[in-house]
Amino acid sequence: MNLFYFVAFLSIFFSLLVIFSKNPVYSVLYLIVTFFTFSIHYILLNAQFLAIVNFIVYMGAILVLFLYVLMLLNLNKESEPMKSNLLKVVGVIAGLCLLLTVAGSLKLLHASDPVLLKNPDIGLVRNLGKVLFKEFLLPFEVSSILLLSAMVGAVLLAKKDITKV
Amino acid sequence: MSALITITILALLLLYLGLFKAKKALLPVALIGLMVALVLSLMEWDSNAAPIFSNMMLYDRFAVAFSGITIFLTILIIALSKDYFERISSNVAEYYALILFSLAGIILMVSYHNLSMLFIGIEIMSVSLYILAGIKKRDFASNEAALKYFLMGAFSTGILLFGVTLIYGASGSFDLEGIKQYILKDPTAVSPLLYTGITLLIVGLSFKVGAAPFHFWVPDVYEGSPSLISAYMSTVVKVAGFAAFLRLIMFSFAPLQDFWIPMIIGMSVLSLLIGNVTAVYQQHFKRMLAYSSISHVGYMLFAIIALNGSSDNAVFVYAAAYSVATIIAFGVLILLQGQVGNDSFDSFNGLARKNPFLALTLTIAMLSLAGIPLTAGFIGKFMMFSKALSSYHIFLVVFAALNAMIGIFYYFKVIVAMYFKEEDRKELIVPVYFKLVLGFSALVTIALGVYPDFIASLI
Amino acid sequence: MSLLSILIFLPLFAGLIIVVLPSSVREGYKYVALAAVIIQVLISAYIYLHFNGNVFTGIADQNKYQLVERLPWISLNLGAMGKLQIDYFLGLDGLSMPFMLLTSVVMLVALLASWEIKINLKGYFALFLLLDTAILGVFSALDFFLFYIFYELMLMPLYFLIGIWGGVRREYAAIKFFLYTLFGSVFMLLVIIGLYFSVTDPATGYHTFNMLSMMDPKNYVEGSIFSALAHNELFGVSARLLGFIVLFIAFAIKVPIVPLHTWLPDAHVEAPTPVSIILAGILLKVGGYGILRVCVSIFPDAAIQSAWWLGLIGIVSIIYGALNALAQTDLKRLVAYSSISHMGFVLLGIASITPEGISGAMMQMISHGFLSSMLFFLVGIIYSRVHDREIPHFRGLALIMPKFSAFIMIAFFASLGLPGFSAFIAEAFSLIGAFNSESINGLLPRWMAVCGTLGILLSACYFLWTLQRMFFGETRLFGGEKWKIQLTDVNAREVTALCILTAFALVLGIMPSLAFDKMNASVLELIRLVNLK
Repeated sequence: MNLFYFVAFLSIFFSLLVIFSKNPVYSVLYLIVTFFTFSIHYILLNAQFLAIVNFIVYMGAILVLFLYVLMLLNLNKESEPMKSNLLKVVGVIAGLCLLLTVAGSLKLLHASDPVLLKNPDIGLVRNLGKVLFKEFLLPFEVSSILLLSAMVGAVLLAKKDITKV
Repeated sequence: MSALITITILALLLLYLGLFKAKKALLPVALIGLMVALVLSLMEWDSNAAPIFSNMMLYDRFAVAFSGITIFLTILIIALSKDYFERISSNVAEYYALILFSLAGIILMVSYHNLSMLFIGIEIMSVSLYILAGIKKRDFASNEAALKYFLMGAFSTGILLFGVTLIYGASGSFDLEGIKQYILKDPTAVSPLLYTGITLLIVGLSFKVGAAPFHFWVPDVYEGSPSLISAYMSTVVKVAGFAAFLRLIMFSFAPLQDFWIPMIIGMSVLSLLIGNVTAVYQQHFKRMLAYSSISHVGYMLFAIIALNGSSDNAVFVYAAAYSVATIIAFGVLILLQGQVGNDSFDSFNGLARKNPFLALTLTIAMLSLAGIPLTAGFIGKFMMFSKALSSYHIFLVVFAALNAMIGIFYYFKVIVAMYFKEEDRKELIVPVYFKLVLGFSALVTIALGVYPDFIASLI
Repeated sequence: MSLLSILIFLPLFAGLIIVVLPSSVREGYKYVALAAVIIQVLISAYIYLHFNGNVFTGIADQNKYQLVERLPWISLNLGAMGKLQIDYFLGLDGLSMPFMLLTSVVMLVALLASWEIKINLKGYFALFLLLDTAILGVFSALDFFLFYIFYELMLMPLYFLIGIWGGVRREYAAIKFFLYTLFGSVFMLLVIIGLYFSVTDPATGYHTFNMLSMMDPKNYVEGSIFSALAHNELFGVSARLLGFIVLFIAFAIKVPIVPLHTWLPDAHVEAPTPVSIILAGILLKVGGYGILRVCVSIFPDAAIQSAWWLGLIGIVSIIYGALNALAQTDLKRLVAYSSISHMGFVLLGIASITPEGISGAMMQMISHGFLSSMLFFLVGIIYSRVHDREIPHFRGLALIMPKFSAFIMIAFFASLGLPGFSAFIAEAFSLIGAFNSESINGLLPRWMAVCGTLGILLSACYFLWTLQRMFFGETRLFGGEKWKIQLTDVNAREVTALCILTAFALVLGIMPSLAFDKMNASVLELIRLVNLK
């Protein structure tokens, strides 16, 4: 339990750093660390597959890509648009609303029934695979159409047109 | 299921045809393939529908009827694509393939029995459409439309997914039947998570069908996208979104009516108001159609407000009437844009003199959209109004009737321009495919208006 | 297929023939239309001669309708709401039969006036015949849904007829006419749906659109919205009264009543002559017919409740229309306002709910149908010759157009209620009804009848004054010598049309029994139904 609190503290700490650091590159780096703590959470929850996917895909691939894009864009402090006061007020109001909602829903909620979680080992790769290839076989297979259409689309958009005009 | 497989294979086949430069064959093959898919899907009518693939899909009458109508509408639209994509770029096969991929997603959307299938269906449909909206790469409006559609779409899918997870958290199931059983177990004491989940799902789906107040993207995206794709989005995609919406609510959330009905009523009223009032002020035909499509969502929501056994039927009739008429309108629009290069109301001036056939079909379409008797649109509106009245939503119906009046005003602008205003103009050249599609659609519109029996009690 | 269906769909069929005929025979279109309309006149004459007014009293009993035709048309399964049953249900009784004849004759006259139409003949005659079908359908439909379909179907052809072949401001007039009428009918649709959910067919137990079932209080579902026993309230008003008002407004726009009349002068002025003839001769009657057939028959309690107001509206229309007519300088506008004034008598007669009053109202509609057609035809003759119809621009027309002037004198005198013509009988009966109402059922005070008489006086004023200004005295024309040449006297075709109308006005004036015999029993039956409540 102590480990959970420690990791949770780290998550919040680093995510705050993401917001407060002035340099966008540092922000992304902190974000990577935050995601890493998430992965630890997943392992604590016995969801190894999720942890690995989070580690590889989010931290490894997407955020590094993000970092590259940021570096290419060469964002400076000067070019950052100033936020107006109105925006700040709106932001504060929105944030408070969110806080209120979260507090309200926390009050309404109760700890989930441990019995409901029929199989605590569902997050293990082996079990997940079984579910994916038995019960959820169709969605798994159909996702291929999704990927294919995305691929065709990406090629179509990126390819240079040999237009006559 | 066989329709889904056929459509997917057809898409792959078209990609290969494109690879081997068989451009002439693309359109006929696509049409024939879709017709096969239509027949295959209709053959599953009444085949003792039971959920298949561990309750992932259910090909009941609802699913067959809606996949039938979406495939049918796609056939009409693809028939209009003759020479259309060639003007945009040389990669024609990919466009057909993308349309078919999105149709595959739509088939999933109308026949799902599990929220994960709904999600995947919506994603497949949307991803293809994001690209199709932006295929005019050098056109600024088209790029804007694609980006806007992508951002809004991604956003709404996120909300939808969030809703799905919350519902899973409350009920422990993705299965429609499972969720229903959970609600029925004790409708008074369902978890608050479920309510949030329902709200988010409704919001997400409203984005997809373009119901106010989640309609912001509609006018810009419809206007910016290539007209053929706009036609596809405002008919097939909208029908599919609505079918998904209705299926979800009819299957699972009917016992919680008191919770979501006020929301839907609000959305319906807003859609009617915003759609109709804004449409009056439009100067361009395409943008007017975009706003009018928002208002039609308002009417269609009536079926959900007065939910009972025949809601699916009412939506089916309305959607069919609306879509067929809209296809005519877009067909004429494509011709006009291609040959006049403008789609303001003024560019319709004197069309009746030079192209009586085009003017006549467009008039029939406008009358149907306006809901004038003896057209399919009237039967649709009639069913919606009588449904809402049967559940005593009198204010709502009176409001809708007033909006229908406003609607007539702007639909008639086109008719006025075509028939009453004289102008010297060149005759538009109407290809054979267009003639067939427009004539057939106009006939269907009239036939449904005069004798709606054969479609109206289908489901 | 009964005679009635043949009568209704014959024009449609002829219209389709015209559509498929090639443009090379465009001169033949009008003869196809003429043939159809003449056959139609013959059929309706046959129906008239074989109509037994004492047996076929109609109103609320299907067995008492002649030429009944009832086929299932739309049947939708609405799940828990039962079955949506819409019938193709036609029939004639004493209330509708006279209008069939009127429609056929006026259509013939309008067609004869259509010889002036020069552009886009195919579209014109096709729409003309479609309109013909719709009007005949309205007068014979007994299923409310069918009635509504025909009612709306009248709008489209008229919209195009005014919009394409009309005058300078035709676009405005067309959309104004369309929106006005549609405003009424959209809400009428809502009441129709409400009635549908309140009424069941005693034979099948399903909800029904059958108007005859709607007239019987026994058929109303207990506690349903329009049930007389349930006393439901909507927006603070009794639901039945509200239903009556909505339907009344829908039809009153057609009649038209003051203050819902403003579309009429515009539409008349901009419409081509034949369309004006149809508008004044038939369409206004659809309003009156609808009030009798639908409002009064289905909501008799509300009709009695609001009879005073109906009478008042009638009086206001009579006086206001007449005063406006007096002020017009455009001859066509004058005739249009005189229509409003004359239709006020119809409302007054209906409001009295006495046999005299309702018979008078029916008679007034028929008589006005012939006379206003004649007036518009005559105006059209002048307009087609010199494209002007300002009253001050003409003087002494009697000298150069003697035959024309004779006809216009007949029309004017007949319209202002000279004894011997149909309008006299009609107005007299309406006023007698209104006058007697206080002693019979106490619905209308006597002063209303007195005010109505004032309307006759005013109509004498504007008609005679116009006659004096335009036709008497020396010939002085705004267009000078050129006009003198252009203003030729009426030709054979015009004489035919005018003679038909004069004959009808005269015959009905001398032998009103020709009409009264056919409809009297139905009128009595209607009054029995109303007093039954």
